[in-house]
Amino acid sequence: METVIKVENLRKVYKLGTEKVIALGSINLEIHKGEICCILGTSGSGKSTLLNMLAGLEKPTKGHIYIGKHDIPKLNEKQLAKLRQKQIGFVFQSYNLLPALTAQENVGLPLMFRGVSKAKRNKAAKEMLVHVGLGKRLKHKPTQMSGGQQQRVGIARAFVCKPQIVFADEPTGNLDTKTTKEVMDIMVGICRQYQMTLVLVTHDPSIAQYADRIVTLIDGAIVSDVENQSIAEPVYQDTGKTKSGEDSPAPENSNMEDGQLSDVSSQPETIQQEAGSQNPDKDFNGGIEG
Amino acid sequence: MKISDQIIMCLQNLFRRKVRTALTVFGVIIGTCAIVVMVSLGVGMQASQDAMLAEMGDLTMIEINNYSGRDENGEKLILNDEVLHKIQQMNHVDVVTPFYQPQNAWGAFALYGGNSKRYKAELYNIYGVYPEALEKMGFKLEKGEYFSNTQGDTIEILVGGYFPYDFEDTRKKRNNTVRYWETKADGSMPDPFIDIMNEKKLVLQIKESGKENGKTIDLKAKGVGVLQYDGKSYETRYGIFISTTQLKKLEEKYNKLNNIKVSEDDKNNYTTAKVKVTDMKYVEEVQAAIDEMGFDTYSMEDIRKPMQEQARKQQMTLGGLGAISLFVAALSITNTMVMSIYERTREIGVMKVLGCMVGNIRSVFLMEAGTIGFMGGVIGIALSYIISYIINIVGNGLTGGFSGGMMGGGFYMGMGGSGMAQTSIIPWWLALGALVFSTLIGLISGYSPANRAVKISALEAIKNE
Repeated sequence: METVIKVENLRKVYKLGTEKVIALGSINLEIHKGEICCILGTSGSGKSTLLNMLAGLEKPTKGHIYIGKHDIPKLNEKQLAKLRQKQIGFVFQSYNLLPALTAQENVGLPLMFRGVSKAKRNKAAKEMLVHVGLGKRLKHKPTQMSGGQQQRVGIARAFVCKPQIVFADEPTGNLDTKTTKEVMDIMVGICRQYQMTLVLVTHDPSIAQYADRIVTLIDGAIVSDVENQSIAEPVYQDTGKTKSGEDSPAPENSNMEDGQLSDVSSQPETIQQEAGSQNPDKDFNGGIEG
Repeated sequence: MKISDQIIMCLQNLFRRKVRTALTVFGVIIGTCAIVVMVSLGVGMQASQDAMLAEMGDLTMIEINNYSGRDENGEKLILNDEVLHKIQQMNHVDVVTPFYQPQNAWGAFALYGGNSKRYKAELYNIYGVYPEALEKMGFKLEKGEYFSNTQGDTIEILVGGYFPYDFEDTRKKRNNTVRYWETKADGSMPDPFIDIMNEKKLVLQIKESGKENGKTIDLKAKGVGVLQYDGKSYETRYGIFISTTQLKKLEEKYNKLNNIKVSEDDKNNYTTAKVKVTDMKYVEEVQAAIDEMGFDTYSMEDIRKPMQEQARKQQMTLGGLGAISLFVAALSITNTMVMSIYERTREIGVMKVLGCMVGNIRSVFLMEAGTIGFMGGVIGIALSYIISYIINIVGNGLTGGFSGGMMGGGFYMGMGGSGMAQTSIIPWWLALGALVFSTLIGLISGYSPANRAVKISALEAIKNE
């Protein structure tokens, strides 16, 4: 099985005055392509620190994180930006939509950073929003939407580039139970459909049930790393009339070993290639279509 | 990120905070206006000075005087053809000619015309010049031509516009001149006794000095042209121009008549010469070069320079006052940008996490600051033109009060309304310069905030509060 993220001897120590706080001891972890991996832990367990370091937002004290060929801690800002543009999607707990932009513009943002033309990114954003059931809310500003809707916009934004990996930090932390289910269904559904890797950080064991694999952290150390035996089947409940039936992930998609989906853009790419003279529009095929 | 997207993002951000943007732009407008209007006053002042000086004489002319001057080694200075030729070869020199007045023979020449030399004019203001130089010196002809043959025996003379009225009727004791101010019924000038260009019996007479009825030499003369009076120089009014070659011959004859011996040096020395420079701005340079040769020089630059110096000082002072307000505007741009960055910290963090290049973030912020400066500059310049227009209207009503008063002078007021230049002038370079400057101020003010935005930690920014 192809390894997408490889963590070696990752260690993070914070200094608080003279006292050293070990946030992460020595973490070794491999996450595979198409895997939905939940990092479960209580507050202070180091799970967010781990996620931040995986995404290159924070430098580790020691150790390596490989995404593709790249050792994340060694990349500079520019290389990180390139990597994020092409291979990483992000879902935040507090949505973090830009308040001045409409849903469509928000979803189009990562494409804008990649230099995709307005027409193309609008088209892709629209498709993505239809996919998450917000086809009728393209022109709405974040303030005109509920939390669940905002998070769906956030998900659409994370997936619009069809990244190899999506990081989600407590994506349902601000949502009620019903909406949580909706949002998780959509997110997991899309991941399964396109065989993307999802790294999900949560303190909520019920959320963890959506994952294939649950890594439990306590005090900066992995205490268990198990295959999930009772995967919650993602079922769309209320995703809007614009959704077509075929968007609903079929149950067999949960079997991650099937190779039936072949999405070229989710293949690992190297930053060197990306940073080259490639036309940013060229390798972008205009949104998610099966 | 495409440039077009960056521009759109920058404009959206500015538009989102309309009031704050407008206030900041307003600050730049005031600063730009202050500088432009202040400098325009200085420029206007300088222009009116130049206009005034031009009234007084040709600004591109340098006069060289050499009355038995000596150089620093005590050697006698000779201003001869050779020296003039050297000056002619200097950079930026348009034309050089002697304005030679034979010192010994002053008052020794007279012009006669009419039957039996009835009409007579004394030739006091006689100038020996290079025949080909007059036209280049800017002397205009009213009629006739410059010179045609200055080598022959006939003396060719070119006279100032009012010289023909110098002829007197020798047969009358009273009322023996034609007064040029007694115009004809149709308002045109009266006819002088002699039509100098068509007079066949024109005679130039050399008199023996100091004797009432001494010996005389008569030479045939021919009027070749009449100069147009330029309204300021004496030469074009009453002057008589003869080529240096012929004037020297006349002087020689006179010296012989009076048994005066003259050294070779003195014979060749011109007491006065004039140099016309191609442009006003080279006058100083050429004049300095001639001074270097040891000669006394004089030009309008001698007056213009201290005036200009003073005007420049005033301009600097005024511009400095304007610059203070633009500096304040710059502070307010920085403040606006810093505020905006505080407000947008999270936004910037999110942008980074979503893969926005830091360079793009920086350029968006720089663009915002630059746009504030640019907009302020554009509106400020437009407003400056309006203010300048108003100043000129009001200023012309109070002529002398402001501009005259500022340049310190009854001098100016004495010049009358003829030098009525604008009080405030905005030349194109001032407008363009102000625009570039205000935009630059915006960019500079935005530089440190933009770098601060770039340094925002994405992690801190997206933290859940």
